Amino acid sequence: MATGTAASFPPPPPFYRLYSDYSTDPDSAPPPPPPVEGSYPLYGATYTTEAVLPSLEDQGVRQLYPKGPNIDFKKELMSLNRDLQLHILELADVLIERPSQYARRVEDISLILRNMHHLLNSLRPHQARATLIHILESQIQRRKQAVEDIKRRREEAQKLLKESIQILDSQ
Amino acid sequence: MDIISQLQEQVNTIALLAVNTFGTLQRDAPPVRLSTDYPEPAANSNPTNPNPTNGDANPNPNPNPSVNPSEEANNVAEQPKAMSAALVQAAKKFDALVAALPLSGEEAQLQRIAELQAENEAIGLELQKQLEAADLEMKQVQELFNHATDNCLNLKKPD
Repeated sequence: MATGTAASFPPPPPFYRLYSDYSTDPDSAPPPPPPVEGSYPLYGATYTTEAVLPSLEDQGVRQLYPKGPNIDFKKELMSLNRDLQLHILELADVLIERPSQYARRVEDISLILRNMHHLLNSLRPHQARATLIHILESQIQRRKQAVEDIKRRREEAQKLLKESIQILDSQ
Repeated sequence: MDIISQLQEQVNTIALLAVNTFGTLQRDAPPVRLSTDYPEPAANSNPTNPNPTNGDANPNPNPNPSVNPSEEANNVAEQPKAMSAALVQAAKKFDALVAALPLSGEEAQLQRIAELQAENEAIGLELQKQLEAADLEMKQVQELFNHATDNCLNLKKPD
């Protein structure tokens, strides 16, 4: 049974033979392959290495907030929130009076929710830059601290040496 | 959790509350009176009791069915209030989170990053200089120490 299942799978790739002398001569083995750039196929689907958020039209969803280079995120998010509450109330009314027409209202609510999520996702690059700023600031802080420490220690060492010279001279 | 993830969670919470509200109301809604010809359903009907020992027609309705309608009426009135209050609270929390977003322009951020990088470079060079000077001094001190110990060993005569 074991030999049957073992024979049905293909053997692993034979690259291990290239590394037989690696411990004695690291240059005899091929270098690692360079990282993939651009688009690459994986299990039949195509992926890309560029991280970009697809716009709403690319996903086939109507964009409710105005387009343009600078979007006032806070204002748009708050107005979308108000729209959402109004639509929920509308849905409640429709369910009371004309229950068979719920579908359009539910679609509107889901449209608003998708727009909200898309706005929040488009805030992530901003967050990434803010994180980078924070990291740079803390690194500068640490380096300044290290410079101060080294200066202090050098001065202490100089002082000790001078003292020891004085002691030796006075003897 | 960072504020954008909190905002995303809040959006999902609002959606969940809305869905639960409508689902619960639709499930628990009492039947609607269609016409005045049909009587209201009797509150004390006990269909699972074919017991013939009950001579008269239910003089003592067991307490459960009579408590149920009033309890249900309370629930049906209280639930929409509680659920809509929760929905409004969630929306207010979302607004509060949006107001707390620390936003700034992209150019301002990029400029700040460039400034910080320049400062980082400068202080990196300073640190490297200090490190090299400290390394040099340490080597000198080690030399001195070696000389001193050699002299000590040479001067010390065996007893």
